[in-house]
Amino acid sequence: MATLTSRNSRKKSLERQGRTATFFLFPSITALALFVFWPIADSLWLSFHHWSLLDPEHAFAGLDNYSSLVKDPLFWKDVRQTAVYTVFVVPLSIALALLLALLCNEKLKGLAFFKAVYFLPVVSSFAIIAIVWSFLMDPDIGLLSYYFKQIGLSSGEWLRSTTWAMPAVILVAVWKNVGFNMVILLAGLQGIPASLYEAAKLDGAGMFGRFRSVTLPMLRHTLLFVLITSITASFQVFDQVYVMTRGGPLHSTETIVYYIYHQGFELLDMGYASSAAWILFAAVFAITIVQLKLFRYDQTD
Amino acid sequence: MQSVKTKKGLAALWLLCLILVLAACSGGKGGDRSGAPAGGESGGSASPAAGKVTLTFWNGFTGPDRPAYEELVKKFNAEHPKIEVVMDITPWDSLLAKLPTSFVSGQGPDIAGFDSALIPKYAKANLILPLDELYGADGIDPGVLPEGLLKAMKYGNHYYGAPANFATLMMYYNKDLFKEAGLDPNKPPATWDEWKVAIEKTTKTNGSDKQYGFVLGDHSTIPVWPILMWGGGADFVSEDGTKATLDTPEFKSALEFWTDLIANKGASPTNLTGAESDKLFSTGKAAMTITGPWMTSGFTEAGLNYDVAPVPAGPKGSFTLANSVALVAGKDTKHKAEVLEFMKFWNSKASQEYLSVRSGFPPSRLDLEGSEKLKENPFVPKFASVAKSGKFYLQGVEDYTKVDTDIVTPLIQAVTNKQMTVEEAIKTYQPMLQNALDGRK
Repeated sequence: MATLTSRNSRKKSLERQGRTATFFLFPSITALALFVFWPIADSLWLSFHHWSLLDPEHAFAGLDNYSSLVKDPLFWKDVRQTAVYTVFVVPLSIALALLLALLCNEKLKGLAFFKAVYFLPVVSSFAIIAIVWSFLMDPDIGLLSYYFKQIGLSSGEWLRSTTWAMPAVILVAVWKNVGFNMVILLAGLQGIPASLYEAAKLDGAGMFGRFRSVTLPMLRHTLLFVLITSITASFQVFDQVYVMTRGGPLHSTETIVYYIYHQGFELLDMGYASSAAWILFAAVFAITIVQLKLFRYDQTD
Repeated sequence: MQSVKTKKGLAALWLLCLILVLAACSGGKGGDRSGAPAGGESGGSASPAAGKVTLTFWNGFTGPDRPAYEELVKKFNAEHPKIEVVMDITPWDSLLAKLPTSFVSGQGPDIAGFDSALIPKYAKANLILPLDELYGADGIDPGVLPEGLLKAMKYGNHYYGAPANFATLMMYYNKDLFKEAGLDPNKPPATWDEWKVAIEKTTKTNGSDKQYGFVLGDHSTIPVWPILMWGGGADFVSEDGTKATLDTPEFKSALEFWTDLIANKGASPTNLTGAESDKLFSTGKAAMTITGPWMTSGFTEAGLNYDVAPVPAGPKGSFTLANSVALVAGKDTKHKAEVLEFMKFWNSKASQEYLSVRSGFPPSRLDLEGSEKLKENPFVPKFASVAKSGKFYLQGVEDYTKVDTDIVTPLIQAVTNKQMTVEEAIKTYQPMLQNALDGRK
């Protein structure tokens, strides 16, 4: 008798909680559905049409947009450049962030100040950062060039050169993202029990040994998170490119999202831009799945 | 008992939130149309008096000439008690991003102001109305406007715009740097040969303190390269905007002449925006540049000792760039007659004098040449004097943005960055340009 009633009442209370939860979720889900999910689905529909904002009618295009996209050498150039950007920004910003996190994890005075300083670029507006860095890197009247000349080096052409513009953009991106990754890795580091380090010390492991056998494995989930977010964000790089270089000079800093923006909002060809957006989505999705499998996210230590 | 009450309470709360959200959304949209008049208009006269017509006017006049335009609108409103024009000013790129979608969704303004180069695109898509009745004895006399400007207001055989402003470009030169290089500061170069000598004399490429003879931007700028091509008898497209003309021998030699000076002799850095080239001139790092009347106050404030002169004549003639922001009538307007009245007022003699003196731009009319009032701003007569040699860039081209950003700029950058020879660049971009002009991808 007792067990039957308690099981029933538990079931009822769960039902009640379920209904309450639904009520609370309803407004957010409605907003999300209206402003996020429906436009995403609609863009898939757009990608199968010749949809210029200025045309009165929109003809069905089948896979025309996708095939033009695949045939456009500029698109593939942008894909390559986005890949180069990712390959440099992600490892650099994670490695640097790990180093800073390890340093900030020490029990020293005044570290709160440093943590704040490293995090400051993260919360600064990208447009403003890009403008300031553009000024600094101006080959004629920029501060960086001035100091270079003072110490006898000739200032590079930086953002005006087709070779050095991308490295300059990468530099600014790493500078901006390091703080974010550092804070997350710091939280991960602080979740590692000290007993593991003591055990390692007892086993005779030196600093590097402890790092390799205790820190890295225990940070696996945090590193995975940071890796996925960094790669996903890198694939979508747009702000700094748009403000610092407008994709130039000569398309050398153009990225996929810049291509989408240009096609969709400047040339007003929404159908074509949507198809590029969906290809980007498919690529990021595939890469994320691969990473999750690689890092065995569903297994705990 | 408790659970039923809380459920009802929750449902009521949620309903309330939804209602508030919906009210806020629609309230915002309504408020946007009638309220927030820009530029010191009389405090939000949102409810028009009986018979009064309100016209919305969207434009991008955020620059130092903004007060001049706002004053002119106030004057119009004062002199026309039955019409009120309300301006909505946003930066050009935001304006051009929201304009197409606004028109397409039926929410476009009565009057819009944007670069005349965009008229073909909007006219073709029927987002703006033809204004043929504006030009005639009753409205604006076509005879008083420069020919190039008149053409820029047309698409096909119809007029679609009226000039909001009219700018010509002139060569600015730094008198101090001229003196240093042994050039006469009162005799600026008048031909390409003299210009080449002046550029080479004022360019210093070695050492840490570089100096540039002649700086110009190749993107995000008022176009200057077209002027260099026109002087050599070449152009990017044909007169009617339908044929790509990169493959003429004149184009090749003009491009080679300037690429040599800029890329090989270091006359200017490459890949500059207009703002960057203006900055180099205003910091005294460049001896010459070409830009419009809007920079005079900035250069004067920077304390430069400079003057303006007509762009030196090339072997095939003296040309400069003319540029105009056009007033157009949005397709959704219900008061076309009042819109035309506004456009006529804007281009009247009195308004043009007023605007010119305050903004530094030359007037759109040719019949103000002897005007004493214009001489109040010493630069205005100078810029007005080259109005007749002003050509419009990519006249009549329907996809102006694509041609300029995706073809002309990379073409120039490819040769000035020495990634392609002039021949290779012409061979690569000629078919691309023809495709764009034909409307193909």
